[in-house]
Parts: sequence; structure tokens; C-alpha cells
Amino acid sequence: MTPQSLLQLTSQKCTTGCPILDRLLYGGIPCDSITEIVAESGSGKTQICLQLSLHAQLPVSHGGLAASSLYLHTEFPFPFRRLHQLCLSFRSSNAHHFPVNDNPCDRIFVQSVHTADHLLEIMSKTDPFIENSKNQVPVRLIVIDSIAALFRSDFDNNPVELKRRSSLFFKISSKLKALAKRFNLAVLVTNQVVDLVGPNEGINGLRIGNLVCLHTSGRRVCPALGLAWANCVNSRLFLSRNEEVIREENEKSNGQSCDFVKKKMRKLYVVFAPHLPESSCEFEITREGLFGVER
Amino acid sequence: MEIWRLPISASQRGKLISAGYTSLSSLSSISSSDLARELKVSESEAMNILKVASHSRGSETSNASCSIVEGAQTAWDMLHDEESLMHITTSSADLDNILGGGIHCKEVTEIGWSSLSLIVNSVLKYKLTTAFGSESIIFMLIGGVPGIGKTQLGIQIAVNVQIPNDFGGLGGKAIYIDTEGSFMVERAFQIAEACIEDMSEYNRFLRKDFQECKIKMLPQDILENIFYFRICSYTEQIALINYLDKFLSEHKDVKVIVVDSVTFHFRQDFDDMAHRTRVLSGMALKLMNLAKRFSLAVVLLNQVTTKHTEASFQLAFALGDSWSHTCTNRIVLYWNGNERYAYIDKSPSLRSASAAYSVTARGIRNSSSSCKRIKMM
Repeated sequence: MTPQSLLQLTSQKCTTGCPILDRLLYGGIPCDSITEIVAESGSGKTQICLQLSLHAQLPVSHGGLAASSLYLHTEFPFPFRRLHQLCLSFRSSNAHHFPVNDNPCDRIFVQSVHTADHLLEIMSKTDPFIENSKNQVPVRLIVIDSIAALFRSDFDNNPVELKRRSSLFFKISSKLKALAKRFNLAVLVTNQVVDLVGPNEGINGLRIGNLVCLHTSGRRVCPALGLAWANCVNSRLFLSRNEEVIREENEKSNGQSCDFVKKKMRKLYVVFAPHLPESSCEFEITREGLFGVER
Repeated sequence: MEIWRLPISASQRGKLISAGYTSLSSLSSISSSDLARELKVSESEAMNILKVASHSRGSETSNASCSIVEGAQTAWDMLHDEESLMHITTSSADLDNILGGGIHCKEVTEIGWSSLSLIVNSVLKYKLTTAFGSESIIFMLIGGVPGIGKTQLGIQIAVNVQIPNDFGGLGGKAIYIDTEGSFMVERAFQIAEACIEDMSEYNRFLRKDFQECKIKMLPQDILENIFYFRICSYTEQIALINYLDKFLSEHKDVKVIVVDSVTFHFRQDFDDMAHRTRVLSGMALKLMNLAKRFSLAVVLLNQVTTKHTEASFQLAFALGDSWSHTCTNRIVLYWNGNERYAYIDKSPSLRSASAAYSVTARGIRNSSSSCKRIKMM
């Protein structure tokens, strides 16, 4: 056992494909680390995952990992059409990095996962899979979308089951971390939210991270899977989605009328991360993908 | 002995130095009312400064010890040894204050909840004890929720232990055992850079001829002096701690071991809790032994968990009570409103106290609101 030299141990990042978001995240999603994205459905979790698995294929000089990715999805169906759409715009904007007849989708390995035990089984097969794929484009990114779906139905709310559940969290997390370290992988995990009722901040009055409370769609929420899982990830990001009503006054021929236009406000927050300060950034989702907005 | 070694707040130290008091002897014949007038502070504060000064002077002069049996010590000698022990500053003056000047060498501290805000802002206050012969072991357990700053504190300690002796530091090296993968080199570099900047600032402030003791340290040197081990399973963790004995005898200048976190790999795969307790206490015993033999500080970072008792949830250190009891010092880090706080939960020598701290780009510092308070005075 010899200590690793910190000078040679530079943490590589995988670009998100948007310079504004990359600046917020100091370069992107870090390798040898687990990053979690927490949000309610329809906030853009899957969008980030898809976009990242495409951008991981960019050469290192362009912020990517020059690598393929492993996409484990637990929510059905897998959004092939959206991936294809993103892939087209990704190819057209990065055409010079790829041969003409090359399809970036070929370097995203998709696997469905049904239960937590199934996930563990897949992860034990991942080691040889990544090792054998070395001669081709190596796998440097694992996406799990979402981890919460595996745990939200199969477990009863009693001490024995909850203990079994948290033990599984730590097993999955340490396996992921071991993989991340061995192959210098970036790991991106998504998580759902649960509504928060009552006056306390957080569940059981427990606050985790920079924000006193997470707000989305006008409700107070907190990440699913509780404190035990929060201990298992290295960084946590939160996406919020709020609708803002903007009044637009239109002058029409027959007097004045007011139109109420609903505008979606999406924001990304750093809840906690060992290398990032408390910060946030607005973003929008377009046909081409997910992009930060500077105000 | 110089003023800047006194365990007083940074602002008081600043006032003393700017009023021209640089050595302890210059304070020996002044009355508290005169000092209060000169420094524009309250008389009770001036009295407090003088008390601290005379106390430090006392410990400086009475170094003569006479042991009867070789190796045996009187409690009196041990007290002096302990006073001469160096501390590692936490970089937050408030936090250092509650820790009695920083983290002691030879003790183990577990950092767990939010009590870290007590880490003092003045960089140079974090001194580690280096006295030999004292039997008190620094074993500190620090615990807290994710995102409260445990890893930040761990990195800060690994950097601050390297502050040279001239600056009131230990000039030692650090072992960092990372079980969670949260150690970020870029962050350590940032903190090291800020630490060096603070030292040169201090240098300019204290000695006008800063040419003479210009800081030759680079952030790269600081990173080089952190021995970093990444651990992926609990068997590896135990093997590493068994191996540290050999490693430390080859690297005698290591003054602190940080384990971030001690808990992670023990929260899976253990069905037999009695077995887990035995393994853990064996590990704690070994660490304590190392702390004693090599006179270094052991800082264990711990996760917290919720404990379900009589239909209410309470926050508790992970891995159970028997494990927490082995640590001589326990610090809890927690959120209070929008501020991070550190609370001394258990300590043989410190009274329980809490202090606010904040995590800044430069590392752990006094909380900004307490800085404002100091400025207002």
C-alpha cells in the first residue's frame, strides 16, 4: 500500500455540453465520484443524463471523456426518440469529431433494471464488461436513471425492512465508487423527490445541504430515500421547475386586453458538493438539449 | 514567546500588535485599565488578555521537571507538557476557541454534525500538540449531515498541520484516508493556496522585514505532504490501519491522520452487529495506539444517522454508542438557521460549547456574521 500522489491525481470532468452549466459545475460532472440529480418528474433529469452520455464521447480536449457510456434505466420506456433527436443535433454541431457514417448512439449501452438486486447483479457483471471493452472505446460514464424507482415500492415501512434498504444503499454506493475509482468513471444518478408536509425543515427536521428547503412547482419537497442515501453520494444537484405568470398587454383594435402567459422557470442548484460552493443557475430545455441561461 | 502565540482572538491580537506589544514581557508590567485605554477595549477584556498572557508566561518559565522513575510523570509535569502541546488550527478562530486552541495532537476527534463553526478564523491558531511524554491521546470524532462540511474540515486540517513552526504551526505532514471519494484535489489546492496567502499576510503584518522570512512554500508542496489513501472496502481499511504502523515509523513527520469517513464501509455487509463492534473497537484501539506512539492527532469523520426511539427520531452518530465512547473528543456539526455550527459533545478537557463557522472558497473560516460582530465592537 502506497499513498497516491495528489499532484498526479487530477480529477477529470465530463462536460455537460453547455458552457454556462460547465462553469457552474467547474467543468462538468467529476470522474471518480458519484453525482446525484434530484428533481420531480418533468424537470429535466433524464435530459441531462442523455445529453451527458452523448457529450462523454467528445475528445478530452473538448471537455469530454472520449468514452462510451453505460445507461441503466429503471423507469420505462427508455426515451429512444428523444435520444435520437439529441443525437442529431449533437452530431451536426460536433461533426468534425466523428466520421461521416458514425452514430454516437452506438456508444451508449442501454440496460434496463427492475429491482435493487438486479442492479447489484448487473454491477458485478460491469467489471468484466468494462475491462473487455478496453480495446474499443472504453466506458467512462455510468448513468442510473433513476435510483429511487428501485426502492419506492419493494420495501415496507418497518425497522427491519428499512435497515435492509439502507444496507443495500451502502452496498450499491460502495460498488459504484469502487468501479468509479478502478476505471476513473463519472457516475451520474438521478433521484426523485417526496413532498414535505409539516413545519419542519427537511424530513424529521433535518436539513441537508446548502438550501433550507427545496421548492418546485410551488411545493416544498425533499429528496427521496432519506439520510442514509444522502450519505452515499458525493455531490447532490437539485433541479426546480416553477411556473411564472407574466402579464402581457396587447393592444388590439377593440381596446385593451390582457393575456396571461405562463413561463417555465427552471433552475439548477448545488445542494452539496465537496468542490463546489453554494450556487444556482437558470436553464432551459430546447429541442437541441439543456442549456444554462445567463441573466 | 511572542504575542501571536497567545490563545486570544485574532482581533485582540491585531489590536495588541498594532499598539506595539509584540512580546509577552512587554505586557508584564501594564495594568488592565491602561491596556484597556490603549486598545480601546473594555476593561474586563483587557484583564482577560493579561490573564492569558501571565498564564502563558508562567508555563514558559517552569520547564524544570524532575521525574523520579524513568518514564513516570507527576500530574504537574503532565499539565505543563500538555500546555506546551501544539495545536492544529482549524482556520476558524471561534472553532479554535472552543477547541482550546485547535485540535490537540495525541487525541482522536470525531467530527460529526455541525459544531465546526468553532474553527477559528485566524489561520495560525490551529496548532497540534507535539509534546512527548504526555499520556493524553488526541482522538477526535467529528460527525454531521452530508454537506455540512466534514470533508472540508478534514482537508483544512490536513493543510493546516503543515503550517511551519515559525508561524505557530506544527510543520508536520498528514495522512488522509478517503473511504468515500469526496476528497477533491482541486479543492485541496484552493485551500492550500489560501493558507499560504494568509501566512504571507500574517508575515507582513507581524514582521516588517518580510524579505527575511518570505514563505517558500508552494501549494504543490502542501499537496505533496498529504499522504492520500483511497479505500474501497472495509477489509482494505483495516489492512491499511494495520500497515500504518510501519508507514509511520518511516515517516516520523506525520502529525495528523484524517479518516473520511470511518463509517462508510461498515454500514453494509454486517449482519452480526457484535462482530462489527469488535472489529471497530479493534480499529479504534490501533488508531489510539498510533496516536500515542507517534504523538499525532487522529481525526475521524463520521456520518450521522437517525435513531428511532419511542416514536421520535433523533440524530445520532453512525455505528452505535460503544464506538462513539472510544473517542476522547466528540464534535457535532449542525445547521442552526442558515449557519453552520460546531458543538463539543464530549471532551475530557474542554467545556461543552458551540461556535458558528462557515465554509468559504478559502476553506473553513469564522462565520461571516460573527466577523461582523467583531467589526462592530
